[in-house]
Amino acid sequence: MLNTTPSPRGIHFDLQQTLGVNRLAGLWRLMSHYHSLYFGAALSTGIAAAANTATFLLIRYFVDRYLMQSERSISLWWIVSGFLLLAIIQGGFTFLSRRLAAQTAEGVTMRLRNYLFDHMQRLTFGYHDKTQTGELIQRATSDVDAIRRFFADQAIESGRIMFLFLMNFGALLYLNGKLALLSILVVPVILAVSLWFFRRIERSYEKYQEQEAKLSTQLQENLSGVRVVKAFARQAYEQNAFDAVNREKYRRGQKLLLMHATYWPVTDIICAVQMLGGFTLAASMAIAGAITVGDYLAYVGLLVGIIWPLRNLGRLIVQMSQGMVSFGRIAEVIAEEREPIATYAERSTKQMRGALRFEQVQFVYDGHEERPVLHNISFEVKPGQKVALLGSTGSGKTSLINLLPRFYEYTGGRILLDDAELTEYPRDWLRQQIGIVEQEPFLFSLSIRENISYGVARQVSQAEVEDAARAAAVHDVIISKFPEGYGTVVGERGITLSGGQKQRIALARTLLKDPRILILDDSTSAVDTETEALIRHALQRLMRGRTTFLIAHRIQSVMDADLILVMEHGRIVQRGTHAELMAQPGRYRRIYDAQTRIEDELDQLIRSAN
Amino acid sequence: MSMDYELEEEEFTSQFTGQTLRRIAGELKPHWPWVVSFVLAVALVASMDSFFTYLSKRIIDEGIVARDWARLLSIVRLYGSLVLVQAAGVFSFIYLTGLLGERVRYELRKKLFNHLQSLSLTYYNRTPVGWIMSRVTSDTDRMAELVTWGLLDVVWSTFNIISALYFMSIINWRLALMVMLIVPLIVVIAVQFKKRIIVEYRAVRRVNSKITGAYNENITGVRVVKALNREEENLARFGGLSSQMYQAGYRAAWLSALFLPTVQFISAVGVGGVIAYSGAQAGTGAISVGGIQAFISYILFMLWPIMEMARVYAEMQQAIASAERIFSLLDAKPEIMDRPDALEPPTLAGDIVFDNVTFYYEDDKPVLTNFNLHVHRGETIALVGPTGGGKSTIVNLLCRFYEPRQGTIHLNGYDYTELTQHAIQSRIGMVLQTPHLFSGAIRENIRYGRLDASDEEVEAAARLVGADEFIQELAQGYDEEVGEGGALLSVGQKQLISLARAVLAQPEIFIMDEATSSVDTLTEGLIQQGMEAVMQNCTSFVIAHRLSTIRNADRILVIEDGQIAEMGSHAELLHLGGHYYRLYTQQFRHELEEQLDPWRASADERELMLA
Repeated sequence: MLNTTPSPRGIHFDLQQTLGVNRLAGLWRLMSHYHSLYFGAALSTGIAAAANTATFLLIRYFVDRYLMQSERSISLWWIVSGFLLLAIIQGGFTFLSRRLAAQTAEGVTMRLRNYLFDHMQRLTFGYHDKTQTGELIQRATSDVDAIRRFFADQAIESGRIMFLFLMNFGALLYLNGKLALLSILVVPVILAVSLWFFRRIERSYEKYQEQEAKLSTQLQENLSGVRVVKAFARQAYEQNAFDAVNREKYRRGQKLLLMHATYWPVTDIICAVQMLGGFTLAASMAIAGAITVGDYLAYVGLLVGIIWPLRNLGRLIVQMSQGMVSFGRIAEVIAEEREPIATYAERSTKQMRGALRFEQVQFVYDGHEERPVLHNISFEVKPGQKVALLGSTGSGKTSLINLLPRFYEYTGGRILLDDAELTEYPRDWLRQQIGIVEQEPFLFSLSIRENISYGVARQVSQAEVEDAARAAAVHDVIISKFPEGYGTVVGERGITLSGGQKQRIALARTLLKDPRILILDDSTSAVDTETEALIRHALQRLMRGRTTFLIAHRIQSVMDADLILVMEHGRIVQRGTHAELMAQPGRYRRIYDAQTRIEDELDQLIRSAN
Repeated sequence: MSMDYELEEEEFTSQFTGQTLRRIAGELKPHWPWVVSFVLAVALVASMDSFFTYLSKRIIDEGIVARDWARLLSIVRLYGSLVLVQAAGVFSFIYLTGLLGERVRYELRKKLFNHLQSLSLTYYNRTPVGWIMSRVTSDTDRMAELVTWGLLDVVWSTFNIISALYFMSIINWRLALMVMLIVPLIVVIAVQFKKRIIVEYRAVRRVNSKITGAYNENITGVRVVKALNREEENLARFGGLSSQMYQAGYRAAWLSALFLPTVQFISAVGVGGVIAYSGAQAGTGAISVGGIQAFISYILFMLWPIMEMARVYAEMQQAIASAERIFSLLDAKPEIMDRPDALEPPTLAGDIVFDNVTFYYEDDKPVLTNFNLHVHRGETIALVGPTGGGKSTIVNLLCRFYEPRQGTIHLNGYDYTELTQHAIQSRIGMVLQTPHLFSGAIRENIRYGRLDASDEEVEAAARLVGADEFIQELAQGYDEEVGEGGALLSVGQKQLISLARAVLAQPEIFIMDEATSSVDTLTEGLIQQGMEAVMQNCTSFVIAHRLSTIRNADRILVIEDGQIAEMGSHAELLHLGGHYYRLYTQQFRHELEEQLDPWRASADERELMLA
């Protein structure tokens, strides 16, 4: 049995080294560690081609030295066995070359997939902000597959055609130089014609595919908007619109076909002219006795082996150039810089206390230098204190919070964590110490158990997971609502979680992680009152003893904070405790007053109704 | 992504293959001249291929060996002129077959699409969009391939093999018999290989869709991954997946790599047999030199038609399964159909009566039971109550998206099952909670309400609902693209546009499902104004969430458990102190809180997501 396990050298190969000016060189370096394997594939192709050529020479030998002779000096069985041996060599090496090429291609793409996966998760937040998911996925899937095909099929197949050409042509030269040269007159013509056609065919095919995508979109929009279509009785209109797209696809298909239907017969004729000319010439030489009958037979076989495969070379060259385009697109991603995760490893052993000091912190997003999002942010938090951030969307709350786990780097001033500058702590260590519970948490399509233990690197027992779930008030729900309890896979077979359930699972995830600093987005908008109480209770428990940053939406939830920061346009406009802020005129008090007025108005309303 | 894949790969295990084949043939029937033409063309080309080999033999035997120059030239001339005929044949079969394929695809898709338009919502509720998409796209592809290129390959292969065998038996029938023994052997091996290769590639596709899923999840969740330091473990997990891919891809490639050499070797054994035979018979005149050459060519070439046949055979199963799924979709009957004598009265403006209506969806759990309601022309009805209470069902029944299981609904005195669906639905204006727009310009989306509306009328409708202002501010104005499903606009903007669309339709009945998601105050006010503009001339049903809407309604219905729990005006119901009172005070508190909160999130502003 052949070795089918992937090479272990795959995982940690740094693809940065494949970057350079030349794509071809990049593809070559992409193959590192596989060069000898691929060389073996190429060599096998050559040997198979040689065996193929030798077969025709053997037939020549058989005809001239055996069949046409009355005195036979050699045994027929030698010839037959020789023939079978050549067949075995050809078959064996053809298989070997494809096998080795496949092994190279699969190995290279596996390494590439792993690298891209890792690379993409290590790119900066800034990069992900500006890049679309679909774009990245396409590069990691279809472009990677284009590279696989480049190595597995296209390069090796064009190698095979080239070898066949060289070997057969060499044999032709050996048979008769003049005949050989006259037999390849048409080669450049075929190459030129096939390149010309396939460039156009490829372009035409792309247009055809584009239309197919349009058709899918049209269909999908119709299906998802079926209620609107019905509500406006627009079936006929939709049918016409779809028909237009469908018809256009038919037309593009027709164009594409016309090109195929022209290319093949045209090259058929060109090839036939060459071959008939060659046959006639060779036959006349044979009649004149300049070459033997065996020579003629070999000539016919060799010529067929030269001419027909060439028609595919144009297609292969066009496809290979697309493989290179794909590599270029992948190289663009590889060239993007990663976020350095661990820089000062010596700090990571320290125990974090959770004291923070912001000094004149400034922040602008990359490329938006004219619009800073944070100005002169200064404040201090003692370990275990609770800081509440109040402010409208775009006031800078989230940007401020994002600086703590070093998702983004501040661009001015400094942040001190336990008396050392934040930038001196490695990112992975910081993120281990900081827990985040967001408004709409992201769960992975793993089991609920795995989702809860997602944030901790060590092995977690079922009891620990359940404890965390109980503390987050979600244990009972998991047991009663989901068919497989903790083993239920999120998102599988239509299993969906409500906003409140997701939020509590995310809470359990954070509880288990046991961070020193906690960041909470306090929103319980999507849940009913009972659940809201449960979540509040769980949150209270979570905040105990940890430095907490609370992004608040309601005054009620900030009243017990040690420090309230009211933010506006990236600045802190008011600060203090609830009592302090109530004692001064300003935003905070106005909001508070307004919210308490609600209750009064409601009372009034009910009284007037009765 | 992975879901699409599963839908795609779902297999039918039906015993009715023969029936399906007959039906496929039926689909092809209108195109019989095409089929006959391409079959003739490819049969000609296939037989000609064999004939060329025979001509090569004659060049050797009659020209070279016989040293007859004139004969040689005449054979070459014949060869040359037949090459032109051959080229014409190749052109015709590629073009005819391909075009027929496009035509079959076009017509199947058209038929499916048109049929889909007639199916009821019930069908859409139980059938995922992805499933339908696969039927219309990849299944039609597969079926079209089968009846065109598949059929062509079979014809080509059959004629090629038969004509080759014919010429072989002319040259030497004993040797030809020997070749006939090899053919079935190659066929069996080729079919076995192809079947296994298909299974392997299916496995590759399955892993591939998992890989795509993994990328998708890790990229969309990248912030959480970073926040929770999961990079190493995720990579390790993915490493498992990508080595599965390696294994699957390698296995498939390995098997494919073995296929051709194996078949080639068997034919090489055949060629060895020819050499042995002719060598042994040398000098007896049993076979000429040209004959040997011809036999070698025939045998070496024969594996290609056989492999093509094996491929078609192996893929046929899938194609038939595809056809079955297509037919099952075409056979799905719309649950709501117009009666043959259905009426299309000029107007339906009048009273609306629900008379003892009972309704349940497919699961038999009653949603509405003996529901009675009489709405006067021009009234505005607010429907309030908990989710799942039956509000949407009332509206869906009114639109005749579903029909009552028992009882009747009367529109302006007609039992509405006596009317055409078009008569009802063309008089309804509807705004959904999450409005659906179609990709295209804003103008086109509004015009969807009335297709012959002029630009002025479109803009007037937009002005009436207060959408004009924000549209004018867009770079392209009314020609601004809304993106797929309206993705480039906010929910509030989409609602305004769908209001304009409804206004333009000049409906007699207006239905609105108010958005629950937050919309900024300005847009909120505009929507309010737009609704009032529409409701002026209509009988209206609003699934209401906003207090102002509720207060302005003529009648409020509190729907709970498929019954009218309370009904009356705002003041009356508030006085009652029951369900409505509780709902109202709760909503009041919530809304005031939101209104007074200067920091309330606005749906229109994009903020960088926190992890």
